[in-house]
Amino acid sequence: MSPREHVDESELHAFVDGELDAENRRRIEDHLHGHAEDAALVEGWRRQNAALRAAFAQTVKEPVPAGLRTASVTSLTRSFGSGVNWARFSPSKGASLRAMRRSDTSRRLPRRPAIVMSLLTLLAGAVVAGAALLAFTGPASPPAPAQRAIIEPPGLVGHAQLAYQTFAQDARPVEIGADRKGELSLWLGERAGFGRLPDLTEAGLELVGGRLVPGVLAPAGLLIYQSSGGVRAALYFERAGGEHPSAAPPKTAPGLAAVEWRAAGFAFILIGPLAAEVARAAAESAAAQAIR
Amino acid sequence: MGQAEDFDETLERLTPGLRRYARALLSGAVNDVADELVQTALQTTADESKLDSPRRDSPNAVLDLRVDLYASLTHAAQRRLRSAAPHRPSLRQPAIMHRLADLPFEERETLLLVVLEGFTYDEVARITRTDRPVALMRLMRARSALTALDRHPSPGADAGRRPGPHLRVVK
Repeated sequence: MSPREHVDESELHAFVDGELDAENRRRIEDHLHGHAEDAALVEGWRRQNAALRAAFAQTVKEPVPAGLRTASVTSLTRSFGSGVNWARFSPSKGASLRAMRRSDTSRRLPRRPAIVMSLLTLLAGAVVAGAALLAFTGPASPPAPAQRAIIEPPGLVGHAQLAYQTFAQDARPVEIGADRKGELSLWLGERAGFGRLPDLTEAGLELVGGRLVPGVLAPAGLLIYQSSGGVRAALYFERAGGEHPSAAPPKTAPGLAAVEWRAAGFAFILIGPLAAEVARAAAESAAAQAIR
Repeated sequence: MGQAEDFDETLERLTPGLRRYARALLSGAVNDVADELVQTALQTTADESKLDSPRRDSPNAVLDLRVDLYASLTHAAQRRLRSAAPHRPSLRQPAIMHRLADLPFEERETLLLVVLEGFTYDEVARITRTDRPVALMRLMRARSALTALDRHPSPGADAGRRPGPHLRVVK
C-alpha cells in the first residue's frame, strides 16, 4: 500500500507545519495511512498546536494599549523623546476636552452680549447675596459655596487612584514595609479598621508594605504590592456601608485597571497598571482573604 | 513604491501578534513587561529600518520587517529573562502555559514562532540566529516535551477567571 520509503520524524514535523511541497505531502499522507503510530503522533502535535493557539488567542483580540499604538506611529517621526509614549497617568481625556471646549466658546462670543451677560450675572449675584444675607441673619457668615464647586469629591475609585498615583511611584511608597507586617497590621487595624494584609503572590504580586492615607470620609489603608517585573499595584480600603459598589462607575486614568468591591463594611479597590485578568485574579484573591 | 500599505500601518498591523508572542515567551504572566518589550522592539526596528531605506522598497520588505521585529523582541525577552527571575504562570492559567514555561528559552521561542506566529523553519532560523537544522531540532524537542499534556484541552480553565458577582471591573 504505501511506498516503503524511509520517513523520519523531522518530515512529520514539516508535514504538520506546512513546510512540504505537494509531492512530499502526498508521500507523508500515504505513509500515515499505513502507520497508525505516526498518525497518532501527528494528531497529537496538531492538538497541541490548537491548545497553544487557544491559550493565547485572547491577546490578539484585546485592544492594543494606547502607548503601544503610538509607539509604532511616533517612533519614526519621533519628536518627543522616547519616554513620552508611556504616559500612563495623563489626566482624563474627557475633562481636558471639556475644558478646551469651554474656553473656545467663551472666546467665540461677541463682545457686546458678553458685557451684557456679565452685568446680568453680577446683578443676579448681588440679588442672591442680598437674599442670602436676609435669610441667614445669624452672626455666622454663610459658608463659601465656591470652594465646593472647585474641588469636587472624586468618589472612592478616584480617591484610590489619587492615593495610588501619589504613593506607588514615590521613592518612599510605604510607611511600614512588609518586613514589619505585625506592626503594619496593628496600625491599619486600629486606624482604618481593617488590619489584614492579603497575600497576592498567587497573582504575582508581593507585598511591599502599607500606610495610612486620608480616605473620602474616614482614614483609609493603602497596601502597595509589586510584581517581579517592578510593576506596582495598590489595594485601597476604607470603611463604607453597602453591599454594592458605588452607583456611577468612574473612569480610571488610561493604563490603570481598577476593581472595586464591598465586603464586611468596607470598600476595597485594587488599582494598578495591570492587565485586566491579572487585576481580576488579584482582586478575587484579596476578596477571598478579606472575608475569611 | 507600489506598496499599498505604508510602513506605520504595517507596524500597527503586526503589533497584536507581537504582543501575543511576547506574553507567551514570558510565560503569559507579566503582561506589562511583555508590552514594554514589544515597545522596545517596535522602536529599535523602526529606527533601524529608517536608516535602511533601500531595503524598505524591496519586494520582501514586509516579511523582512516582520522577521526583524520578532528577532528584536526575542532578543529583548531573552535579556530580560536572564536579568530577572522567571515569572510563573498563575494557577488559573491553562496547563499548557505551565509546560511552556518549563521549556528552555530556545525551545520555547522556536515552538511559538512556528505554531503561534506561523513562521517557516527558515524564517525561524533567521529570527533566532541559527540554521534550519538547529531550529528543527529545537522544535522537535519542544514538542516531545509538551506531548504528554492536554489530550483534551481543559474546559475548566476559563471558568475560574470570571469575576465574582460582587466584584466590579472599572474601565
